[in-house]
Formats: sequence, C-alpha cells, structure tokens
Amino acid sequence: MNETRKWILHRISAVILAPLYVWFYFSLILLSMKNYSEAIYFFKNPLFVILTIIVFFVGFFHAKISLSEIFEDYIQNQKIKDVANLLTVILSIIIPIIILILLMYKI
Amino acid sequence: MNDIKNPLSPHLQIYRWHISSLLSITHRICGVINLLALIFIFFWLVALSLGESNYELFLLTINSFIGKFILIGFAWSMSFHVLSGIRHLAWDLGYGFEIKTANISGVIVIILSLAITIIFWLLARGFI
Repeated sequence: MNETRKWILHRISAVILAPLYVWFYFSLILLSMKNYSEAIYFFKNPLFVILTIIVFFVGFFHAKISLSEIFEDYIQNQKIKDVANLLTVILSIIIPIIILILLMYKI
Repeated sequence: MNDIKNPLSPHLQIYRWHISSLLSITHRICGVINLLALIFIFFWLVALSLGESNYELFLLTINSFIGKFILIGFAWSMSFHVLSGIRHLAWDLGYGFEIKTANISGVIVIILSLAITIIFWLLARGFI
C-alpha cells in the first residue's frame, strides 16, 4: 500500500471511528452494570452487533497503520520491524474475525 | 564508521515541555492504550460467550476498584484520543496552525476529555 493511500485511509478510518467509539464506550460502561441476560439482550439488537463488528474491523485497521508508523519511528532493526508489523497484521485480522464469529453465532 | 560518535536525536526528557509536544506524545500513548482497550473488550465479549457463570466472574472483576480504575482510564484515553484526533484532522484540512490557536485548542482538548470522562461515567452509571 503506498504512503498517500495509507494516509488517506488512516484519516477516513479515524472519521468513522470517532462517533462509533463514543457510542461504544458509553454502551460498555452501561453494560458493566448489567447482568448476563441483559448483556445478551443488548447484543440481540442487530444494529449494535453490526456497529460493534465495524468498531473492531475499522479500529484494528486504524491501529495497524498507526502502529507501523510508531515502529518506523522507534525500531531501528529492519528484521524486528518486519516481525512486529507482521504480528500486528495477524492480530488485526484474527481478533475482528473472532468477534464476528462470536457475535453472529455464539452470543 | 563509528556510530557512537553520531549525534542522537534528543530524547523526550531533554525537551522543555510545551503543550503542543505534551499533547502530541499523549495522543500516541493514548492510541496504544486504546488498542489495549480494544483487546480488553475482545476478552469481555469472549467472557460473555462463555456463559453466565464466567460472565458473572468477569463482571465482578471489572466492578472491583482496579476494574473501575481501568474502565475510567480507558474512557479517558478514548475521549482524549478522539478529541485530539479531531484537532489533528483540522490541521490536515489546514486550520488552526497559529501557535496561539494550537495552544488554545490543546487546552480545550485536555479539559473536554476530562469533562467527557466524568460525565460519561456519571451518566452511564446512573448517578445523574
């Protein structure tokens, strides 16, 4: 991915995330006081499920781009940098997919 | 070539602190904290999928003193990063570069992020 596209996608993901995160955190603090069945009921709402999945996919995408910037600034060794970037890519794909499966089939 | 003699870029603790540099590094640190928060929330949902008894245990943990501290910390980190991010987006569009404006917007970000955290907590927890 070239740097300009990265920069633009990073900003677009930021604009998507900003309002979603505010909603998401508020919901989580609310959920922290509810019991199991109320939490399950919360995720019965398809809108909340879709928004949560978006938060995870876009959030990890945003984090992936940002982290590679941070690695660029603080890691000198190219090999370590490559490994760090690879781990971030794997993490930012696996976690959202697990969330997708959990919310669609388990919860 | 002797690397040791090359000048190093000054480290963070060398600079005299300005509100601009303070906010810049805090924005980064909060970004990383937000990633950790997202991983924490991932485990939250995993706990929820593991059934009632496991989830009750998880709830007990996050409603302990340390759990609340972490939740409030995550909420502040999120609100700071979002507000500071909006400030960055304004810069990307070419607004707010004057030193005075940048300083004022920096102070606003700090105050608003604290205010939002407190209001969020009080509202969601049912205190107001």
